[in-house]
Amino acid sequence: MKFFDIRDRMLLAALLPVTLVAVLLSSVFLAGRYADLDEAHQQRARSLARQLASASEYGLFSANTSSLQAIATGALREPDVRSVMILNAQGQALALAGSSGLATLPALGSREERQVDATTGLELLVQPVSASQVRLDDLFEGGTLAGQMDAVPLGHVVMEISRAGVVSRSHDMLAIGLAVTLGGLLFGVVLAVRIGRGVIQPILRVSDMIHRIGRGELSVRGRVQADDPLRDLQLGLNQMAEHLQQGRDELEQRVALATSELRAKKEEAETATRAKSRFLAAASHDLRQPIHALGMFVARLAQLPHDRETRHLIGNLEASVRAMQDLLDALLDISRLDADAVRVQLQPVPLAPLFDQLRGALQPVAGDKGLRLRVRGSEIWVQSDPTLLHRILLNLVSNALRYTGNGGVLVGCRRSRGGSHLWIEVWDTGVGIAPEYQQDIFREFYQIGNPERDRSKGLGLGLNIVDRTARLLGHPLQLCSVPGHGTRFRIELPLAPPGDLQSLLAAADSPPVDDVRGLRILVIEDDRQSAQALRGLLDSWGCVVAVVEGLQGALTIVDGGFVPDLVLSDFRLRAGESGMDTLHQLRTSLGRPLPACLMSGDTDPELIQSCRDAGLPLLHKPVRPAKLRTLIRRLARPQPASVG
Amino acid sequence: MPMSALLRHGLPLLLLLTGLAGAARASEPAVLVVSSERSPAYQEAAEAVASELARPMADTRRQVLQLTVADLSTYQGSAPRLYVALGTEACAQLGRTPVPAPVLCALLPRGSFERVLRETGRRAGASLSALYLNQPLGRQLDLMRLALPQARRVGVLWGADSRANEAMLESAAQTRGLKVVGVPVRPDEPVFNGLKKILDESDLLLALADPQIYNSSSIQNILLASFRAQVPMLAFSPAYVRAGALMAVYSTPVQIGQQAGLLARGVLQGQPLGVPQYPLQFEVSVNEHVARSLGLRLDAGSLAERLRRLERGT
Repeated sequence: MKFFDIRDRMLLAALLPVTLVAVLLSSVFLAGRYADLDEAHQQRARSLARQLASASEYGLFSANTSSLQAIATGALREPDVRSVMILNAQGQALALAGSSGLATLPALGSREERQVDATTGLELLVQPVSASQVRLDDLFEGGTLAGQMDAVPLGHVVMEISRAGVVSRSHDMLAIGLAVTLGGLLFGVVLAVRIGRGVIQPILRVSDMIHRIGRGELSVRGRVQADDPLRDLQLGLNQMAEHLQQGRDELEQRVALATSELRAKKEEAETATRAKSRFLAAASHDLRQPIHALGMFVARLAQLPHDRETRHLIGNLEASVRAMQDLLDALLDISRLDADAVRVQLQPVPLAPLFDQLRGALQPVAGDKGLRLRVRGSEIWVQSDPTLLHRILLNLVSNALRYTGNGGVLVGCRRSRGGSHLWIEVWDTGVGIAPEYQQDIFREFYQIGNPERDRSKGLGLGLNIVDRTARLLGHPLQLCSVPGHGTRFRIELPLAPPGDLQSLLAAADSPPVDDVRGLRILVIEDDRQSAQALRGLLDSWGCVVAVVEGLQGALTIVDGGFVPDLVLSDFRLRAGESGMDTLHQLRTSLGRPLPACLMSGDTDPELIQSCRDAGLPLLHKPVRPAKLRTLIRRLARPQPASVG
Repeated sequence: MPMSALLRHGLPLLLLLTGLAGAARASEPAVLVVSSERSPAYQEAAEAVASELARPMADTRRQVLQLTVADLSTYQGSAPRLYVALGTEACAQLGRTPVPAPVLCALLPRGSFERVLRETGRRAGASLSALYLNQPLGRQLDLMRLALPQARRVGVLWGADSRANEAMLESAAQTRGLKVVGVPVRPDEPVFNGLKKILDESDLLLALADPQIYNSSSIQNILLASFRAQVPMLAFSPAYVRAGALMAVYSTPVQIGQQAGLLARGVLQGQPLGVPQYPLQFEVSVNEHVARSLGLRLDAGSLAERLRRLERGT
């Protein structure tokens, strides 16, 4: 549409002046010619009338009707003259020639008159006939009468003359004028179109080329002609397109190069991540089995009577195992967070027992490092998940203790947001965190000042877990640190109305020692060492234990009369058997939903998710004896009152 | 022409003298010439009056003042002993207003003077008299006889002014053995009907001054009609001869002025003004072309001479 606009405008610009000039000129000339025609006609008519008048003078003076008639008839020979009438001073017609269309005579005065009848197109001229004046210059003329004598005409000539000739010639002239105007216009149009084409074509060509370049067709080139009015533009455009094309090609090459490099780096990184995951999974799985067994053995060992020195050794052993288990737990937590397998159960949580637990768990660590750990007790209840909150605080305080050389760590509370919320703050007098690291410390495996990866300083997962868990709970986490002076972490929780602390404490109270005694437990475990450790532990709790290696053994022992109250099964069994399938078939053969629990050294998120889908509890190796016992108690003796 | 040269050079001097006379009342003008207008004819006549008066005395120029009618109302000099009114208008003006000196009207047709008399109710006499412009009728008839000896019938168109001369003409014609064909024309009547009758029945058309009949508008057609009828016109002024009349007998303004000067001198010498007079001096004019067309051979000079001799002889 834009092209047509240009063309139209060019045409308009060329034609408008031509049209205006042509129309104006022809109008002016026609009007002038009309006026000339009319004037010529009038002059001719007037002079004819005057001639008649002067010719009639003597005839009128002498009342010679025959001579007057001859004059009148002679006048009819003139073209356009319709009638001539000659009247004497008294108004009597002395001569009449032609057919007068006059109904009534016009007023006859001493002046020349001219009337035009618009309907008939006839023109009526009245010419008074006055005697010709002879200058006498005579003393005899008194001057008194002379003026009066002049005023009275001898008579009148009344002539009717047709304007048909004028009209027809006007029409001819109009036709010629129109023809000339139209011809001029036509010529102007042809000229404008032809000249316009010479200008518009290059513009359209260039415009089209610009359009194509705009669409990305950089390879387009315009033909450069010597007579092109836009030659320079065309040359410049070609040059521009070439530069653009070169630039784009270069850019594309660079992008392709960068992309391939990026892709390689990404693949490298992904490979590394996969390798890490594989390593983590493998390492945790492979490490878990022995540590699991070790934990069992140490637990079993601790229950035996020993002398004081041995008991001390066993205590140290237990601590080391616990540390290893903690490390593996952290890895497990990360895996679970990665798998979105952490379920948040928000509920009113009293802070007092949580803080007690924290103090109990970490006071020894602080004591070992010679640090002071102060936990300001509080009767406040908050809305949170107790397990996850405990994990956050445990990590924060452990972290604080880990990076504090001397001084102490303080855990306290402070109300916020007008009392509707609570900050739980963990202060330390440690090394502090430089501002440039304050974001990085929340990343996985990130540790400041531990390039040698001293394992005593942990894996660098703690704050990552804290951050992700706090986000999961919706608790804002803040960090404020001055290097060399200490760090303050704080987490904000909504307050909850206080509940019945006593009943909660009672429920959480440690159960009687013999609560699992006499339970018949079927253990399905293909790893002999683990199976032995588990059996020993369960035996020490007074359980009746049967250990099999797979489904076949389980079915056999059940058929042999062993009715288990509970099944503990490893997830990954020999010969590709899955603990989940084994449990399913066992339940099918027994015909009842046998309480069961799966154990696994894998931290594979898919595994965790599938167990959750099947409704089976999953214990991760190394299984803590305390946790195992709690689970066994819950599964075997379901109590409606207790929280599931 | 010495007259016109004199006129051309003398006029500014004259006007200057007039102004001096108006300013200084010391000299008493003997004659005050009042012209109707400042046209050459009046100037010539006035000059002729003055030169005629100047002839016997050395210092008379100062005794003749020339004015026009328009200047008369502003004239503040002392009263002259004689007024000379040139033209109808001056005559009418001086005739109407009572002036302390006699008035001689000149250079006007007889009809006009008689109209002035009628309008003012005065009579021609010592206080108001005239020198007519018209020629005496007998002189015209004599010229006709000299020029066209065989012509016997004289056609005359009588208008309101000229009608008074009818009886006079009849008697003059009778004494010369001529017949007058007179046709009266009423003011509202076309001239042609009467003219046709005259042209049919006369040998000559005698034109007598009467603006009702002979004026600049009518003269062309009258002359044309008379020419077509082969009836010559005897007119009263050279202008008519130029327009196509066969001949005319007339007095020039100078001749009139000289005669008026003579009369004025008489008055200054104590003679009273008499009855109105016709001019004594005259000229004859002939239109050679018209004469040739009519098959006549006429000579103006010899005709005038013969006419003067005829008048003197009788």
